[in-house]
Amino acid sequence: MTSMKFGLLEFADWRSLAVLRRNARVYLRNWRTAFFPPAMEPLVYFAAFGLGLSGYVDNLHWRGRALPYTTYVAPGLVAYAAFNTSFYEALYSSYVRMFYQKTWDGILGTQVELRHIVWGEVLWAGSRAFMNTSFVALALALVHALGLVHLRLEVLPLLPLLGVFAGWAFAAFGLIFTAVVPSIDHMNYPVFLIGIPIALLSNTYFPVPTHNPWVGAIAQLNPVFHLSETLRSLLVDGELGPSFLPWLLSTTAALLLFIASAQYLIHRRLLRK
Amino acid sequence: MSPELRSAATSDELSVIVRAEGLVKTYAGRRVVDQLSMSCAKGRILTLLGPNGAGKTTTLRMLYGLIEPDQGRVFYEGLELVKHRANIKRWVGVCTQDDTVDYDLSVVENLRVYAGYFRPKVESLETRIENLLQLFELQSYRDRSPRTLSGGYRQRLQLARSIVHSPRVLYLDEPTTGLDPSARVQVWELIHRLRGEGLSIILTTHYMEEAERLSDDLVVIDRGRSLSQGAPREVLGKLLGEHVVVVPPDSKARAEVEGWAERELEREPSVVLGELRIPLPAAKLAAFAAEFENAGFQVRPPNLDDLFLQLSKGSRSEQGLSLTSGEGRPT
Repeated sequence: MTSMKFGLLEFADWRSLAVLRRNARVYLRNWRTAFFPPAMEPLVYFAAFGLGLSGYVDNLHWRGRALPYTTYVAPGLVAYAAFNTSFYEALYSSYVRMFYQKTWDGILGTQVELRHIVWGEVLWAGSRAFMNTSFVALALALVHALGLVHLRLEVLPLLPLLGVFAGWAFAAFGLIFTAVVPSIDHMNYPVFLIGIPIALLSNTYFPVPTHNPWVGAIAQLNPVFHLSETLRSLLVDGELGPSFLPWLLSTTAALLLFIASAQYLIHRRLLRK
Repeated sequence: MSPELRSAATSDELSVIVRAEGLVKTYAGRRVVDQLSMSCAKGRILTLLGPNGAGKTTTLRMLYGLIEPDQGRVFYEGLELVKHRANIKRWVGVCTQDDTVDYDLSVVENLRVYAGYFRPKVESLETRIENLLQLFELQSYRDRSPRTLSGGYRQRLQLARSIVHSPRVLYLDEPTTGLDPSARVQVWELIHRLRGEGLSIILTTHYMEEAERLSDDLVVIDRGRSLSQGAPREVLGKLLGEHVVVVPPDSKARAEVEGWAERELEREPSVVLGELRIPLPAAKLAAFAAEFENAGFQVRPPNLDDLFLQLSKGSRSEQGLSLTSGEGRPT
C-alpha cells in the first residue's frame, strides 16, 4: 500500500519540495498580479477599520488595560493575512490545479506521490503566508513611523515565522474542502460558513465576548484566535504571552490532523475512481 | 540498476521488463480487472486492446503504480514494484489519456519542471531538453504557452515530457485520441522512433489501425480479463480462427448462412452495413464452402476490426468470447 502511505513528516522530502518549487516558479511568472492584490487586502482593512472606525470607537480593553483601536486591530490583521492567504490558496488555487488543469495527474506519473503533492501545496501556501505577513509587518512599521499605531517593532521579524507555521495548518485545513467539494461553485460553503466566521471570531477586529461560554468555547477552538492573541502580545508587550503555548500546541495538532485528513480525502477523490 | 537490485533479479527476468501476475481491481463491487496476467519484453511495443470499459486504463495504472491492485503483483525486471517502488518509478514514463500539460508553464519549462520530479537528477538536462525539442519539432514554440499549441503539438509536448528523464518503459494511454489523422500519423512515427531507440512501450488504444501498425505484441482485454497475448497474427488466429468469410448484403443465401452460423458456431457473425462477417477456423471454412458454394462470399484473413467487433458484441450481449474454435478461453 505504498502509494497510499500517509506522510506526516515528509515536508522536507525532495518530492514535496519539487512541488513547492513548481508552484513558486509559476508564481514568479505572475508575481505582480499574484502578490500585490492579496497583500494589500489587510492594509485596506486597516485603513477601513483601524483608521476609519478609530474616531468612533473608544479604547478597547485587552487583558485589563485600555488599547487604542488601531493598536488593537493591527496585530489581528497580521493573523488575518496568514489565515486568508494560505486558506484561500489551498481552496481555490489548489482546486484549479487538481480539477481543471489536472496538474496533479501529470505529477502522479512521476516519482512524486500524492502525499508529497499535498505537502508541497501546504508548503507553498505557507510560503505565501510568509510573504504576505512580511508585507503587512513592513506596512505596520510604516504606520508606526507615522505615529498612527504604537507597536514593539523589534518583534516584527518574528511575525512571518509564526505566519508560515500557522499558514501550513490553515492550508491543510483548506485542502480538506478542496478534496470534497464537487465543483468550484461549492467553495461558497467553506468560504462563507467556515472561512469568514473563523476570521471574524478571532479577536481580529473586535474582542470576542468570551464570557459567553459558547462563544468562548468556539474561540478556544479557533486557531486564528490564538494566533491573533499571540501576535498582539508580541506587538503590544514584546513577549509571546499566555496564548502562545495553546497556539503552538493546537496548531501543531491541527496541522498533523488536517494533513492526514487531506491526504486521505484527496487520495479517495483522485485514486479510487 | 544498483548492484543489490540487479542481484535480486534472475537473468530470465531481465529479458522481460514488465510482468504482471493475477491483477485484480474492484470498484464499487464491480471487478474492473479480473486475474489479469501479462508481460512486456524489452524494446517492444505491447498494446492493451479492448472495447471501452474493458479495463485497459485501470490495468495500465496498476502497472505504473498509480493505483494498487486488490490482488496480484507487478514486477519490473524481476523486482516487485511494491518493494522497489521509488527506484522503479524512476524507470517509468507516463503519458496520460487526459491532457496534463502544465498550462501555467511554457513549453520548455514543462520539460524542465517535469524533470525535477525525478531522482537521481537527469544528467545534462539542458542538452536533453534541446534534443527533445528538436526530436518533437517544438523548438520554435519553446517559450510559448501550451495553450497556443494545436492538439497534435500539445500531445507531442506531453510525449516529450514523459521521456525527459530517459525512462526504460513508456506508458501511453490512448495517445492519439482526439487527434486528426495527420497528427495521429506523426505521433505514430514518434512512437515508432522511440521504440527504435530501445524504449519499451506499453500502450492502450481502441484504434485498430494504431494497434496493427505499432504493436509487436497484443494483450486482448475484455471485461477485465486477458483473452490472449502474443503477436497480432497469433492472437487473431487464436481468438478468431484463420479466416473471415464476408457475405455481401444482397446475397440470396443470406438467410441460410445465418441459419448455418446459428447452428454451427458458438457466436453470432458481425454485421457491418448489412455485410455478414463470419470468423472461421480452417476446418469450418471447408464445410461452409461446400454448403454455400454459390453464395457470392469472399474469404480474407481476420483483422483487428473483426476482433474488436466480436469483443464489443460480446460485451453488449454478455456472451463470453470463448470463440468458436474454443481456444479463446480467458488466460
